[in-house]
Amino acid sequence: MKLTRRTALLLAAATALTPVAAFAQDSVKLGYQLPLTGNTAQYGQDFKDAAEIALTKFNASGALPVPVEIIYEDSRSDAKEGVTIARKFVDDKEIVGVLGDFTSTVSMAAAQVYKKAGMVQLSQTASHPDFAKISKWQFRNITTQDQEGAVNAQWMMDKGIKKVAVIAEQTDWGQSVAKGFVEPFEAAGGEVVYTEFFNRGLADFRSIITKLEDQAPDAVYTGFFYEDGAQFLKQMAQLDAEIPIYSTSAAYNDQLIELAGEAAEGLLLTATFLPTRMDANVQDFVTEWDKTHDHAPGQFPAQAYDAVNIMLAAVVKAYPDLTRESLRDAVAATSDFPGVTGNTTFDENGEPLKELTKASVVGGVFVEVE
Amino acid sequence: MSKSLLIKLGLLVLAFALIPALLVGFDKGYYYQIATIAAIFMLLAASLHLVTGVAGLLHLGHAALYGVGAYVAAILGANHGIGFTLGLPLAGLSAAAIAFLVALPTMRLMSIYFAVATLGIGQMLYLVFLNWVGLTNGPNGVMLFSGINLFGLEIDSDLGIYYVVAGIVAISILVLNRLSHSYYGNALRSLREDDQCASAMGINVTVMKIQAFVISAFFAGIAGALWAYTTGYISPNDFHFSQSILILTMVVVGGLGSLPGVLIGALLLILLPEALRSVGDIRNIIVGVLMFSAILFLPKGLFGEVSALNFARRVLGQGWAAKKGEKGIGWK
Repeated sequence: MKLTRRTALLLAAATALTPVAAFAQDSVKLGYQLPLTGNTAQYGQDFKDAAEIALTKFNASGALPVPVEIIYEDSRSDAKEGVTIARKFVDDKEIVGVLGDFTSTVSMAAAQVYKKAGMVQLSQTASHPDFAKISKWQFRNITTQDQEGAVNAQWMMDKGIKKVAVIAEQTDWGQSVAKGFVEPFEAAGGEVVYTEFFNRGLADFRSIITKLEDQAPDAVYTGFFYEDGAQFLKQMAQLDAEIPIYSTSAAYNDQLIELAGEAAEGLLLTATFLPTRMDANVQDFVTEWDKTHDHAPGQFPAQAYDAVNIMLAAVVKAYPDLTRESLRDAVAATSDFPGVTGNTTFDENGEPLKELTKASVVGGVFVEVE
Repeated sequence: MSKSLLIKLGLLVLAFALIPALLVGFDKGYYYQIATIAAIFMLLAASLHLVTGVAGLLHLGHAALYGVGAYVAAILGANHGIGFTLGLPLAGLSAAAIAFLVALPTMRLMSIYFAVATLGIGQMLYLVFLNWVGLTNGPNGVMLFSGINLFGLEIDSDLGIYYVVAGIVAISILVLNRLSHSYYGNALRSLREDDQCASAMGINVTVMKIQAFVISAFFAGIAGALWAYTTGYISPNDFHFSQSILILTMVVVGGLGSLPGVLIGALLLILLPEALRSVGDIRNIIVGVLMFSAILFLPKGLFGEVSALNFARRVLGQGWAAKKGEKGIGWK
């Protein structure tokens, strides 16, 4: 490159501006590990969108004198990459806290790194029963199946349902769905007549449904996500199995209704987030979300939105004395945080205590019942 | 000093002095992690190389045997108090034992039928990890809290762990190298080229195939134990079919039948996605395009078998050459 007068001037200007720019960029950094590619990318992309909404709103609010920055790293839902990212975040001395990952298994592999290094990790979705127990550094913003199972068990008891079949996916989460429901239900005098786990992506539920009908349960309790849920509901309808179906917040997704159509009518479930709820926080989030999406936000992006906001609120609380340690204590002290998924308080294990809403599919939409 | 010794010394200095020096210099856990994962996958690729590259058997279930090793090491460590020193060889032996059992009925299968059989074995083992909740904890995975304790010596520094992993991987690769560049390796190559001809020459084809399969599984099991101990948490997803394909890709991109090639292939496929992290979501597409181009323009691999054999002959040939007054052995 020839050094003309113009380039020289530009260089001089750039040099002069650099220190100012560096000072202005002084910010609080958070890490977010999530699958942005691979076969769970659709979830990760939603988390990123939700996090951006929360972050933009926060930085515009001026709650901190410096902006907060989130560094996203793609884990592909692969434990190898999850651990590598965790090491990368831990190395960056400016990063004070981490959000993610999406799946329990990647979150737990990464958690071993955060535990050793002492960095707060708040996952929006890791539902493994032992995740929050790994160390004092792990938190999650997803209701445990012990909570959801107990609410569903009581709900059925109130309706006089005594015999139940349990169908759940064969994952750590599915196992906790079954366990979380069966224990309180049997303790209350109910009877579980049939339990079956299926592998995710099962195309044909007919043999399970036939076996289930043989046991003549009063209701079915299910642990599935919308893809498997839609298949199951459609095949239940095709086989004319008129048994009430109860499910968890994981089934709460507009795409379940889209895919299952009529068959989704009457599905009963517990949820923490309903986009139709007339609450200022919920409506703010839904309005922002709708600007860039053509479908309403599901439970998971809402959990991610709240997780980011909980972390940001903790940053404000710990600022200016912000360290990994002080941020962890601030997150642990979260109490009655008003989010879109209800009010959140962390118990001593880092488990969120939330109120659950009972909902049902009526006329093609999820509505609150009672 | 002979050239062969120079190359060996050079590689040793690289693995045990230069890379550690760089790691210490940067002092980033991130680089230690990448170095560890790269070493583990180099061992996986090198062990698959013996079966797929040298013996020419398309093996689609390697990750499952890697999983057997990881589960044995993790379950022994977490529930039975058997530490690293004993757990590591047991992990290798268990993987080898399972490979032996499944090899007995499958080794008489030819080409594509063998590939489909190993695909089935891989899926079966994966489903066992996932569904035998009583033993493997199912989808909940196994957490391994005990660190690496080598003969009573507690190793928990990043550098120490790197040395343990690099040391074990180096010894394993040395063994695999000697196996594939020897009369034994040549016999395996003859199976790949024409097993009927090999059989006519007096080679017991089935026994040789079983041996190669079992040895390869042993080293996959060792790699599994290293993964379990360095991560501290394993779950069935780590040993999914996609990982078998990843290892197979390393072998093919690096060069079928070429040990230096598959090591380069493993390094490339671990380092490249990390190096491309900054470009964002399209990094996997770039890796895919590069792999595609590599196969298109270098169908024999980055470091093909012919170059690898020439290389090995030069290095080993000196050791095997006829000494004064003796009859020479080996290639010539």
